[in-house]
Amino acid sequence: MKVLLEARDLHVSYGAIKALQGFSLSLNEREIVSVIGANGAGKSTFMSAVMGMVKCDRGEVFLDGKKLPPKSFLVVQGGLSLAPEGRKVFAPLTVLENLEIGAFSRAGHGDVKKDMEWVFSLFPRLKERVRQHAGTLSGGEQQMLAIGRALMARPRVLLLDEPSLGLAPIIIRDIFAELKRINEEGVSILLVEQNARQALLLSRRTYVLQTGRLLKEGLSKDLLTDPEIKAAYLGTKGK
Amino acid sequence: MVNGVQFSTLFQQIINGLSLGSVYALIAVGYSLVYSILSFSNFAHGGFLVVGGYICYGLLMGKGFNIWIASLGALVGAGFVAALTERLAYKPIRERTSMTLYLLIASMGVSIVIENLFVIVVGGRFRALPQNTFPSALFSLGGNVTVSAFDIFSLVIAVTFLGGLQLFLSRTRWGLAIRAAACDLRTAGLMGVNVSLLIAIVFFVAGLLAAVGGIFLSVRYTLYPQLGGITTKAFVAAVIGGLGSLPGAVVGSLILGLAEMLTAGFISSQMRDLVVFSMLVIMLLVKPAGFFGKQIGDKI
Repeated sequence: MKVLLEARDLHVSYGAIKALQGFSLSLNEREIVSVIGANGAGKSTFMSAVMGMVKCDRGEVFLDGKKLPPKSFLVVQGGLSLAPEGRKVFAPLTVLENLEIGAFSRAGHGDVKKDMEWVFSLFPRLKERVRQHAGTLSGGEQQMLAIGRALMARPRVLLLDEPSLGLAPIIIRDIFAELKRINEEGVSILLVEQNARQALLLSRRTYVLQTGRLLKEGLSKDLLTDPEIKAAYLGTKGK
Repeated sequence: MVNGVQFSTLFQQIINGLSLGSVYALIAVGYSLVYSILSFSNFAHGGFLVVGGYICYGLLMGKGFNIWIASLGALVGAGFVAALTERLAYKPIRERTSMTLYLLIASMGVSIVIENLFVIVVGGRFRALPQNTFPSALFSLGGNVTVSAFDIFSLVIAVTFLGGLQLFLSRTRWGLAIRAAACDLRTAGLMGVNVSLLIAIVFFVAGLLAAVGGIFLSVRYTLYPQLGGITTKAFVAAVIGGLGSLPGAVVGSLILGLAEMLTAGFISSQMRDLVVFSMLVIMLLVKPAGFFGKQIGDKI
């Protein structure tokens, strides 16, 4: 398998607080990789660093062996797209406008209409609400919109920061099922989650992050039965 | 007969009020646009208006261009000065801190710099654009009602520019990006929008609209380095309409223009400012977010 995205030795600090202390990760073509960890482990910082939203003290991110520029809009043009934590849909804009702005980086390239149909086929509820303001959607629908919006950039890697946050279990199941479908259509996925069980069930490989450092990495199916992981992140006692 | 006179005064003052209000709107909308993106009161906004006024005056009187070319030069020039101000004075601050208070203080400094630059370079005296620069004839609408062509002209031009801005924001790709950025600048960057370029465009547009207002104000009153002080009225209009809201800025400006002119027509023109600032105080007491203000607080 070919490595698509690679983060090497990322260090990020906010003033005196070191949020990431040398974290490395790689994502292969067509793979789903997840990063799990507790609150404050550095998961969102990692995503921000990859997207060029925070400055790294040290370390680099490569896509296809080429170094990613440190500006968000260039990263998006390069083929990465993030559905951010807390969804961050543009509430006063309509669902349609939210999807259109998602395609901003590729105006004039490719068939935006066709991709929008694809997003609607993944999340039919968005099509029903296309003229509604995004702020009037339910939490689950907003998450679908955030994912759809990120897909409109036609990313090679879709990054998801806590897509399950604040959602009912049944909605989480639906959304994760669609993520699987998105991946099957050729989009690699990098997922950051506090909901460790869902993340481990969806992904092929998982990195466990603890206070800015790698605690463990491996195949997700192995980690699901790892006693330490079970006790700390899955809330079940390891046998 | 008394009623007839009062009616014609009322009618005239409404036209005057709408005309003045539409000029305020040009200023208030640009100011509000910047506020909606960067969440700070740009007190240098009045400076852009003065820059526009002087460029127009200079091209018209000094270089002998006709008014259309002089105006075009003023709009583009003020737009560039606004974008340049952002690049030199605000961007370095934005990149270091997210506290908008520093931007506010910097903008006060820029305002003083621009004002004094004009005092030094062109002098502090009052200048007037020639009377026949714009249509200025008075015409009668029957009875005692007379309207100045300049009022109608400036109203039409202002509405044209505001309509143009509306089309730009609602129909174009960058317009959509600006509306998204007004909601959440950081997330707009995640959509592949070059945020630095977007902010430059916003300042250019704000400077351009201020220049239109500046040209009209220098005809209506006169041109002098402190003319930018009139932006205070546009700030008040923006607050009444709701900070950061463009329809709010327009509505607030029209209300303010009408209130000023009706006060001048029926009470006393010395009471104009008293009425304006009383309205501000009452608005802040009764509805501090203004008519169309952004809701404070997030849905969690």
